[in-house]
Amino acid sequence: MEDIHIKGMHEAYFIPSVDFEVATGRCEIAGESYLEETTKFYTPIFEWIKEYTETIKGPLTFDFKLSYFNTSSSKCLVDILDMLKKYQKSGGQVTVNWYYEDSEEELEEVEDFIMETGLDINKIPLEEE
Amino acid sequence: MEKIDDKYDFSLYEYHNLLHQNILVSYKGPIDERIMTVIGDNIEIVTNDGNDKARSKIFKIFMELAQNVWLYSAESCTTSSGRRLGMGTLVIGEFGDSYTFVTGNVVRNSDIEPVIEKCEIINSLDRESLREYRREQRRLAKDGHNKNSGNIGLIQVALTAESPLDIELTPVSDEESFFSIAVKIKKSAAK
Repeated sequence: MEDIHIKGMHEAYFIPSVDFEVATGRCEIAGESYLEETTKFYTPIFEWIKEYTETIKGPLTFDFKLSYFNTSSSKCLVDILDMLKKYQKSGGQVTVNWYYEDSEEELEEVEDFIMETGLDINKIPLEEE
Repeated sequence: MEKIDDKYDFSLYEYHNLLHQNILVSYKGPIDERIMTVIGDNIEIVTNDGNDKARSKIFKIFMELAQNVWLYSAESCTTSSGRRLGMGTLVIGEFGDSYTFVTGNVVRNSDIEPVIEKCEIINSLDRESLREYRREQRRLAKDGHNKNSGNIGLIQVALTAESPLDIELTPVSDEESFFSIAVKIKKSAAK
């Protein structure tokens, strides 16, 4: 099983940065998510989580640092959270951190993800640079 | 200088003046991801009167509504590589203490009824119920019961704008109408 490293880009579409490490179980999705084929982009990510939770079965820490994602991406994010919830239910160790800018709307969105998936998500304010 | 004989019955100067007062950006034509990115990035520049939250709101709203025009407009053109691009009009205006973003496109009368119903439901809900509606619709879409993700887009737009969707339907023929959605975003957006 291999790490995933995708470099984020803001071009005609916005590709988020993705860094998943097998050795540590640390996974980060950052930047902006607006993709030509959203499900196609996220499929390798789903497959990585599936493989990790079925074969490695180590702890997982997910850091979401998304400054923008469209509604189509939000469906895939819920899919990821669903998979993490399922892993946690089966005894896996899962920590999810959601970094947000100073916006109540973003906080509401994270709260809705929590309600939608039943997963605990830590809400962490991003430091202003 | 030679004049164009069959000059369109149209004054660019009047058009400019019409737009000059309150309009920050206007576009009419086919929409694709490049147009969306260019205008999306320009929103940052032209909305410098508002706060960061207002800017990011108008960007989010723009991305959802422009995408709907691209995908669902009944008027379209096809690129040389065979891609279908919906055509429509996008306008970002500035009126006093708020921005208004309007998109419009031609729709088939037979297709538009569910969209209007959706907008009316959205406008009838308070914020908490809208959030619940978004969760429910996202579930349905994910489970494959609802292919039309534009539905969640409209809920998202209303939540982001913190204002109703101002819709207008103007018949253009027996089969088609011009459908527009306007939303208002306060420059001093708090959420």
